[in-house]
Amino acid sequence: MSQETESTGNPIANPDPSVLDRLRFARQDVAAKLPPLRGQRIAYLLVSPFFVLFGLFLAFPVVYTLYLSFFEWQSVGQGNLFWIDFGPFHVTVPRIAELQFVGLSNYTRLLGDGLFWQSMFNTTYILLIQVPIMIGLALALAVALNASFVRFKGLFRTAIALPISANIVAYSTVFLLLFNEQFGFVNYLLSQVGVSPIAWLTSEFWARKTIIAAVTWRWIGYNMIILLAGLQNVPQQLYEAAEIDGAGRWEKFRYVTLPQLRPVLLFVVVLSTIGTFKLFAEPYVITGGGPTNATITIVQYIYRQAFVHWNLGYASALTVIFVALVSVISIAQIRIGGDD
Amino acid sequence: MREQRRKDAVWMFLTYAFILTMVVVMLIPLYWMIVAATLPQQEFIEFPPRLIPGTAFLDNFAALQERMNYVLTIWNSVFIAVVYTVLSLLLCSMAGFAFAKYEFRFKEPLFYSILATLVLPIQLLVIPLFLMMSQVGWTDTFRAIILPWLANPIGIFLMRQNMRSIPDALLESARMDGASELQIFYRIALPAMRSSLAALAIILFLFQWDLFLYPLVILEDPGNYTIPVALAGLEGTQRIYYDQIMVATTLAIIPMAILFLVLQKQFVSGILAGSLKE
Repeated sequence: MSQETESTGNPIANPDPSVLDRLRFARQDVAAKLPPLRGQRIAYLLVSPFFVLFGLFLAFPVVYTLYLSFFEWQSVGQGNLFWIDFGPFHVTVPRIAELQFVGLSNYTRLLGDGLFWQSMFNTTYILLIQVPIMIGLALALAVALNASFVRFKGLFRTAIALPISANIVAYSTVFLLLFNEQFGFVNYLLSQVGVSPIAWLTSEFWARKTIIAAVTWRWIGYNMIILLAGLQNVPQQLYEAAEIDGAGRWEKFRYVTLPQLRPVLLFVVVLSTIGTFKLFAEPYVITGGGPTNATITIVQYIYRQAFVHWNLGYASALTVIFVALVSVISIAQIRIGGDD
Repeated sequence: MREQRRKDAVWMFLTYAFILTMVVVMLIPLYWMIVAATLPQQEFIEFPPRLIPGTAFLDNFAALQERMNYVLTIWNSVFIAVVYTVLSLLLCSMAGFAFAKYEFRFKEPLFYSILATLVLPIQLLVIPLFLMMSQVGWTDTFRAIILPWLANPIGIFLMRQNMRSIPDALLESARMDGASELQIFYRIALPAMRSSLAALAIILFLFQWDLFLYPLVILEDPGNYTIPVALAGLEGTQRIYYDQIMVATTLAIIPMAILFLVLQKQFVSGILAGSLKE
């Protein structure tokens, strides 16, 4: 029979190409209409490892921190929270910690905690000086390196961006010695121009400046690269049009570059603000939070409460406030910067 | 006209002066670190400081290695960062592919739950993670350092964005040719994502490489220390050996700096990719 049909040119066994094409389109149509059915199982397979870890190590801890902030931590958990018997095997979920409910007292406590407010003040102080200086320098560098007459751009950019690769604690340690009062390089340079040694690490005023210098050094190149990419997206015609209108260097920067760069600039400001708000390693290594707590930051204080004094519940309350502040700041910046 | 040309020349001079000053400022700490690492301690702390590198690097290194097993520390850091990067790349690209190319239930809420965590500072997680790890007896282990950060929100977000650019027709024709969905993922989607994967690899590696607060809390045995934790401990000892400390920081910074020089393009695209998340 098959012999026969083939020889008689049965359209199914021996279809002409146009029919095959039409069939394929029909199949694609069906595939396009039914992606949920064919995709579901494989999609869950692809997604589930991520979400198991995401739920366990990200979503749960976020919720648990909030929970913990209403308790005082007693000890590592004893025994099990619950266990489920599946016949051949069972799943036990241990108690994470022994806790004592304290209501809102962690939150009322922080209101009167002088050192917490000191850490808030320090962080804000560092932030308000560091972020404008760093963004200003990064912007100036980006504009300079974007100028058409500058040669060896790649080389300069590389040199300035090099600190991006420096490990945070390692570079902080280098700065600790760089700003050493007796034999640090900075005081040596100052002595060459007749400035007497500055107590970079032991004076309240200068210790904060040391931290600011360190953070600025580490992140200037990072911000410069983002700004440089933003500058390269500014349409050249805008500059040409401005030139025809007789705009000078400053006018072109003020009326073309800045408005065009606004979203990128805003992004960089938000990123840097949050970054500096989370400052920990630099003060931990360079000043240890001193002198007399002049450089202790919020995260450092949370660390101290949690892992030096073991007030884990209280430290969780501090964390909740800290995260709320970070969110408010970034939303506010986007609001202010976004409105025209 | 002449006036204009003079102004231009002054401007050019100022621009170059500014760039060169900044370049020097950026390089001084690194240069000075190398000088300090290559001088014996007594020569290093004299005033005025020496400005030319010496030859004592290996002696200083031997002294450092005698005091603590710094080679092991470097190995720990590299091992953790590499294992983390590879595993996280795999997880993020798998999940990112699913979000880009399949329809499934709860897709939207799951994706928004990831977006919500993008803005959370990771410091938020240290206390609960420490308690969880203590409970299951995982403190002082590498898995405690690696596992919690594998499901990286930036990673999945980037992979989803980039995988959307893979044409559906390409996947469909592979299906026609009888490829299974998993084959489509690793034969077509992954190779097409090579440059995005490289950029993400840099982001992930640097994230783990710079992680400090969390390992500081989790790791106890010096034999398990990563570079940041070991360095922070070095500084805290009573008599401070600056030469040894600078050897340690040099070994932490210079190989990464060389890596940066070699893979600069990937670093830059990593930074820009990470900055696109808003």
